[in-house]
Amino acid sequence: MAYWPHWLVVVVVAPLVGAVLAPVVGRGRPKVVALWALAAMGVTSLAALNLIVRVAEDGPFSYDMGGWEPPVGIELRFDEFGASVGIICLLGMLALLFSYRYAEHTLPTERVPYYYSLMLLNLTGLIGFVVTGDLFNLFVFMEILSLSGYALVAVSGERIAEMAAFKYLVMGAVSSLLVLFSIGVLYSVTGSLNMADVAARLGDWGARSPAMLALAGLSLGFMVKAAIFPVHIWLPDAHAIAPSPVSAILSGLVVKVGVLGMLRVYQIFYAAETLDLTGLNTLLVWLGAISIVMGAFFAIFQEDVKMMLAYSTISNVGYIMMGLGLASSYGLIGATVHVFNHALIKATLFLSAGAMIYRTGYRTLHDLRGVGKAMPITTIALSIGAISIVGIPPTAGFLCKWYIALGAFQADQPFFGVALVFGALFIFVYYIRMVNAFYFQPATHPEIAEVSEAPLSMLVPVIILATLCLVMGILGRIPLSFIEPAVTRMLAPLGG
Amino acid sequence: MKRALVAALLIVAAIPLLSIVAELPPHAAPDSPAYTHVSAHYLEHGAEEAGAENIVTDVILNYRGFDTNGEVTVIFTALAAVLAILLLPSEERVEERPAPAMPVSMVVRFVVRLLAPFIALFAVYVIMNGHVTPGGGFQGGTILGALVIALTIVLGEDEAHRLLPRPARPWLQAAAPLTFVVIGIAGIAVVGSYLGFPAEEPWQWVRTAWLVILEIGIGVGGGAIIGTLFWTMEAER
Amino acid sequence: MIEALWNNLDYAASVVLFLIGLYAVIAKNNLVKKFMGLNIMETAVFAFIVALGVVEGGDAPIHGPDAHPPFTNPLPQALILTGIVVAVSTTALALSLIIRIHRQCGTIEADELREME
Repeated sequence: MAYWPHWLVVVVVAPLVGAVLAPVVGRGRPKVVALWALAAMGVTSLAALNLIVRVAEDGPFSYDMGGWEPPVGIELRFDEFGASVGIICLLGMLALLFSYRYAEHTLPTERVPYYYSLMLLNLTGLIGFVVTGDLFNLFVFMEILSLSGYALVAVSGERIAEMAAFKYLVMGAVSSLLVLFSIGVLYSVTGSLNMADVAARLGDWGARSPAMLALAGLSLGFMVKAAIFPVHIWLPDAHAIAPSPVSAILSGLVVKVGVLGMLRVYQIFYAAETLDLTGLNTLLVWLGAISIVMGAFFAIFQEDVKMMLAYSTISNVGYIMMGLGLASSYGLIGATVHVFNHALIKATLFLSAGAMIYRTGYRTLHDLRGVGKAMPITTIALSIGAISIVGIPPTAGFLCKWYIALGAFQADQPFFGVALVFGALFIFVYYIRMVNAFYFQPATHPEIAEVSEAPLSMLVPVIILATLCLVMGILGRIPLSFIEPAVTRMLAPLGG
Repeated sequence: MKRALVAALLIVAAIPLLSIVAELPPHAAPDSPAYTHVSAHYLEHGAEEAGAENIVTDVILNYRGFDTNGEVTVIFTALAAVLAILLLPSEERVEERPAPAMPVSMVVRFVVRLLAPFIALFAVYVIMNGHVTPGGGFQGGTILGALVIALTIVLGEDEAHRLLPRPARPWLQAAAPLTFVVIGIAGIAVVGSYLGFPAEEPWQWVRTAWLVILEIGIGVGGGAIIGTLFWTMEAER
Repeated sequence: MIEALWNNLDYAASVVLFLIGLYAVIAKNNLVKKFMGLNIMETAVFAFIVALGVVEGGDAPIHGPDAHPPFTNPLPQALILTGIVVAVSTTALALSLIIRIHRQCGTIEADELREME
């Protein structure tokens, strides 16, 4: 075997080793452990880059763990959707860099190594979740990232942090159990855990209702993870109260686990061709539409900046779910690319908001008035993020929303295209409110004018992300055409 | 009111669920898909292909070793999570503990001291014999953890802390995932894939050795983590 | 259908157990009880998956001189070993969260906590 498939192992194992050794390396040395975590992610990013180049050249490939061919052993699989490993590495690096000062100053020294350990474990779980081709392995990695996610919410030690984390834990654990139960059902009717093999054998068992139960359980489980209306209630508190770099990861990547999980499930069920998925698709489109409007609506009334961003995540995941449910090629392409772009944009927003909170100590719009003059670069970055998330061309947010709208027309459901535009208008309102407060209103606290710009380790990630928001808007065609073959392959059984 | 509503909803939900589980392959039937596809391969070839007479161990450590690699990472995640949430800054730590309301009786102290080596021996037996009898690293690790907890309760924390010396503690806690990574990379070097085990004629002893090393790693790491979890939570009383 | 359900009684029992756990998670007020509900749900799912592996007259899947087929299905047992470890980890994390909540707010009743917010 050629050497390069081993990168697929490296991409999972490197952050894992980084995580388990972080407490060994970092006893009482918060700076060293930050650099260690960055180094681990550096190796991971290198591996991810190799894989993405490889998949662009040769198409999807897989790796048999322990040399056992699937379905006997576990298969890792890397396809175009797997390229989300790239964004996971990028955001991971930037969030870790942002934590360099943030963690040292906001957490007790003893806890810092474990903070980095949890961050790396979270990223390990995310990467493993994306690259595995085995249902049970998917569950295991999902648990790694969920557990570390619950803990990261509580790590700040703020007053309601533990309560938010507990709520998140209970809902997350119930959804994980639904997923595990459904995996059990799929196993009982197919005798296999490998996704491709399950898809091939799903039709063999006479009764179709077990497959339906599994589909329902998996969808519901992943919907909770994706925080779609009406199971979104855990998200706002958890994402708002977590430390800012954690919020960036949770909002940018961890909720996408629900989306990517749905994509995986759809790949199985579309390929199996045993069930009619129209009903589920309609449900997804409706729930997506409700999430868009509701998330945007609640965001308008928030005073806390991070709370606002958290609600905006609900509405953006709504866009993605809608694109998934439309089941037309444009909608699906738009949705998958929005997974990438929303991750970039939301990380920009959360990190720049985090830098403001770090410097000023305030977190409501009212208190943060006038921060635009004191921290010009951070505020510009936040504004770029805001424009992108509304979807104004030429930023990253525009193209995918445009594609999802096109998808709605393609699927003959123009109503949802209109709903989408309305949602964008709502979102526009609250970001205008935010930008207005930062630039044009007189400062509530006069001392805010004396606040200095964020430190370099926070400024660099924020600038990189804001630049990417603009660049991805201009070069947006590249990811679109990159993901297209995968979408075509997935929708092929539908005859379109 | 709310409770009655929830109960009613769940009872309604039970009806379709029960009707669906009735359509699953019949329970305990030897011709069900679950028994005839992948598992049939494990049962038929497991002992010679994967190297352990206990087929469950074959599945855990060899066929689906990567799952177990993830699983030991989950326990490590729990440890990191609990420490990140509960670990007190050193200045806040209370050195003076209030004495327990009732001192541990001398009989209990004596019996636990007497039994401790035997419990440890049993744990080692369970760990080392995982590939031929029921048991293995997790079970043995739990016994080790229970031993640490028993000693903490009876002999006090300071005495029990000596079981896991402070400088070695982070290494011991990370033992299980690290063992997996080391064996996995050895697999790449020797067989050409992560967590691969040599199966050809003269090298079968290597395979057995690796299986035992994995079991030991899981056992030591599991025991250390369970002990630490207990200490960390106990310090918060 | 009743006959099929009777035959699959193990699965039906785990479904019922699952719903009982879910009831506790939703309806109970005490955080520890909520969490015990979650543990009941976990047990239900584990019981379901282990029951999938049962085979009529099956023996423990350990080869050796005294062993004779049929053996039970080893895969569900291996999966649930992993599942149990995950459940233990979740329990540890949840308990430490509850400890912190109790320390900070002095109560672990959900309604009292909601009033405090």
